[in-house]
Amino acid sequence: MKNIKTLILIFCIILLSTHILLSKSEKSISLMVQWFPQAQFAGYIVAYEKGFYNEAGVDATILFSDGTDSPLQEVLDKRIEFCTGWLSQAIMLRSEQKKILNICQLLQKSSLMLVAKKESGIETAQDFNDKIISNWGGDFSIQPIAFFQKQNIQPEVIPQSFRIDGFLVGAIDVTSAMYYNEYHKILQAGIDEDELVSFFFTDYDLNFPEDGIYCREETLQNEPEMCKNFIDATIKGWAYAFQHKEETLDIVMKYCREYHMQTNRSHQRWMLNAIEIAMTYKVGDNSDNWGILQKDDYYTVAEELLHQKLITTIPLYKDFYKDVAHEK
Amino acid sequence: MKNEKVKVKRPLVRKLLLWIGLPLLMVYIIVILFTYFWSGDNALKQMKEYLFELTSHHACMLDGKFIKVSRASMGVADAIDEFAMPTQKELNALMKKKLSENRDIYGMAIAFDPYVYNKMKLFSPYVYHSGDEILDVDLALSYDYTLQDWFMIPKLLGTSYWGEPYFDEGGANILMATYSQPMYKDEKFIGVSTADISLDDLEREMNNIRIMAGHTFIITRTGTFIYHPIKEYMMNESIFSLAEEDNQPELREIGKKMIAGEQGITTFRDVTTGKKSWLVYSPIPDCDWSFAAVIPDKEIMKTVNSMVLKQIIIMVIGLFIILLVILWAAIGITNPIKRLLGFANKISKGDLDEKITGIRGHDEIHELVKAFNKMTFDLKHYISDLTAATKAKESVESELRIARQIQESLLPRIFPPFPDTEEFDLYARNIPAKEVAGDFFDFFMLDDDHIAIIIADVSGKGISAGLFMAVTRTLMKTVCVQGIPPADAMEKANIVLCQDNDACMFTTLFLAIYDIRTGHMHWTNAGHDEPIIISEDGSFKILKTFKDIALGINEFHKYHEGEAQLEIGNKMVLYTDGVIEATSPENELYGEERFIKILTENADKSLVEIMNVVTEDLDGFQKDNQFDDITILLLKREK
Repeated sequence: MKNIKTLILIFCIILLSTHILLSKSEKSISLMVQWFPQAQFAGYIVAYEKGFYNEAGVDATILFSDGTDSPLQEVLDKRIEFCTGWLSQAIMLRSEQKKILNICQLLQKSSLMLVAKKESGIETAQDFNDKIISNWGGDFSIQPIAFFQKQNIQPEVIPQSFRIDGFLVGAIDVTSAMYYNEYHKILQAGIDEDELVSFFFTDYDLNFPEDGIYCREETLQNEPEMCKNFIDATIKGWAYAFQHKEETLDIVMKYCREYHMQTNRSHQRWMLNAIEIAMTYKVGDNSDNWGILQKDDYYTVAEELLHQKLITTIPLYKDFYKDVAHEK
Repeated sequence: MKNEKVKVKRPLVRKLLLWIGLPLLMVYIIVILFTYFWSGDNALKQMKEYLFELTSHHACMLDGKFIKVSRASMGVADAIDEFAMPTQKELNALMKKKLSENRDIYGMAIAFDPYVYNKMKLFSPYVYHSGDEILDVDLALSYDYTLQDWFMIPKLLGTSYWGEPYFDEGGANILMATYSQPMYKDEKFIGVSTADISLDDLEREMNNIRIMAGHTFIITRTGTFIYHPIKEYMMNESIFSLAEEDNQPELREIGKKMIAGEQGITTFRDVTTGKKSWLVYSPIPDCDWSFAAVIPDKEIMKTVNSMVLKQIIIMVIGLFIILLVILWAAIGITNPIKRLLGFANKISKGDLDEKITGIRGHDEIHELVKAFNKMTFDLKHYISDLTAATKAKESVESELRIARQIQESLLPRIFPPFPDTEEFDLYARNIPAKEVAGDFFDFFMLDDDHIAIIIADVSGKGISAGLFMAVTRTLMKTVCVQGIPPADAMEKANIVLCQDNDACMFTTLFLAIYDIRTGHMHWTNAGHDEPIIISEDGSFKILKTFKDIALGINEFHKYHEGEAQLEIGNKMVLYTDGVIEATSPENELYGEERFIKILTENADKSLVEIMNVVTEDLDGFQKDNQFDDITILLLKREK
């Protein structure tokens, strides 16, 4: 009797679950981006706020990382379905046989750069030698290390915090910066562009594409349609964001305030424009062409990772990247 | 008596106002315009200085706050430098003491460079306020502080450093800023001493600072607002982000000056209001921040304009007072003049009884009034004297008129005197110079054939002469009796006239007794002008006589007698010296020659016509300038 009751209960639960699953057309998923809300993630936020995900039948939730958790690891740990992340880190994970997939490479151009003040006497990378250079760790350090090797220089490198105060007060001569973020913060601290010397890694054959969308292999295998819908809605969100910048900034600023981000609209505007530059690099303005991971970019990054012994083998491009946006 | 209103076409008051007031007004207008522009500039300058000082003052006050905190941290650093490495307990005690001394300090830390303190990798004792308590903790247990800006930057810079403010999110979510002082031992960096200042009070303090109707703000060395009345700006916006958002490159330039620690005042478009405003900024040197005040241009101009307006109002009041003074002075001058004018008008109408009184002072007007009063007084007396004199004269004149009438009545007035007589014609005219003449003529028949003809000129004029003439005439009429020789008659009359002649009057006299049938005459002449005989053909001759002395001088004088024959048609002209001594306005004498000429030229005319011609000629010659009596007597023998 007890067994029958248990069986009936199990049956009911299965029935109910099936009913719920069948009756709900939208699949509830989460996307985690690398940092707190800012224009760097405008496309996702806009897609969410404008209801593009819902329209595409995806019940998406955006999660913002606080920097302590790694979104890619969160995906691998199956806590979330999608995340954004840098190509370099994803290649390293893939080379560790982690079943992570790039399903959309949005940013085509690296925004990472080194900045120095002209007044520090720096004109070329050769002038770095007896200077103090600050660098972030992790992914952010790969390009600078490669750059120093290429330039055959061995400057004193110290760890860099999230603030640029050391650079602003002159304690640090050369600082790492994201073109869309810290570089503009320097400008917003009263230093003019013509007072600065900039070194874009893209100019030194070190174009490491940054934000791409990642998921587990199984996610794409099990729910290819949902993945495509999600990617399409995301690209739609980005296209909308670039076409309606002020509206987008309204939305982004709302998020920034909610998350107590110390930022301002003009900074977010700069960021949005800079992200647009990075996204349309090589592929152009047409959103139909967005989301592609260029093979040569992939190998540029992978080979440098290999060179720096951060990976032992280069994962196959076709294993690593699935062009979901352009699948029929 | 009420003063008559005198209407003046262009009153002196108006003139004075026009001559003094108008130029003054123009000068004032120029001065006011000058004041407006110059004073506006000046007021603006003053205003700038005022704002400058006020802003500096507030910046200094804020600086003092930061200095106190940084000094406390420096004190700790110095203590560590001085002594051998203190124990953790000693360090905590030292910092707790500083903390309790200064409520502005939220927390203090000593952060040692790795392996400096007792060969520990990291060691950083931290004391902080927690409610009323002061707690302590080792930061090294929480995180690697060597990567923190507050540790790294002063280490790299080798100087103290005020970090950018941050929200202490772990704590009370308050705005904090950290001061870091690098510590050295034997010139080797050993760590930093820090002090956290809570900026929680800053907002309250800043809210209390009022600079006119503007607002204030504070930016850090990166231009970030750590105080702004718009709360959203705080920690989010920088002066440069506003410049960018508002597309105001000028504001960026201002911001650069501000973070460079400069002091200044400038105008810009206030981002919050979009209106032209003034920005006054002053550095807070200890932390390299900048304090600024934003005042709407309207407010400044309102104050400046009210300052200028005050000056202008004072000037306008001054002008008004001056105009009033001019008016008062003008009235003060013109009122007595007006009174004088009214007074003069009255005088002109003969009212001399009034005297001007009530005009005070010792000026020219007063002197004029005095002169006027004296003049009126003199005039009054003069007029009364004159009136008396005129009255007297008028009575004399009226008497003279009567005397003249009497005298005229004495002279024969009807011509021709003997209309029935055909043998001769006689015509005479007396033109007296004065009311009473001294001349006279007379003729009267002594019998049927003889007529006595007399012409005389009494010495002197007027009543006395008239009376003497009357006496002489009566006397002559009495002494000339039928058949008496003229000389006898003359002597008799002379004797009478000489007697009792106290006035010593005398008379010239010509007496002829003419026989109307024969034309023969006997004559005697007592000093008179000799008669002229005019022929019908125009020739003439003067009857030569013995010129005896005039009557009334010598009673014993024997008068001579002569004879003469007047032919038919001839005329005898008797005259007094008034004729030939008649004087023109040019002082020319009429003369005997001219007299004879006019007589001879008109010899063919009747006696009346001749008389008219002669008297007209005399009138024309003298032109109302007759000094002496004129008497002419014409006798013509008709057959």
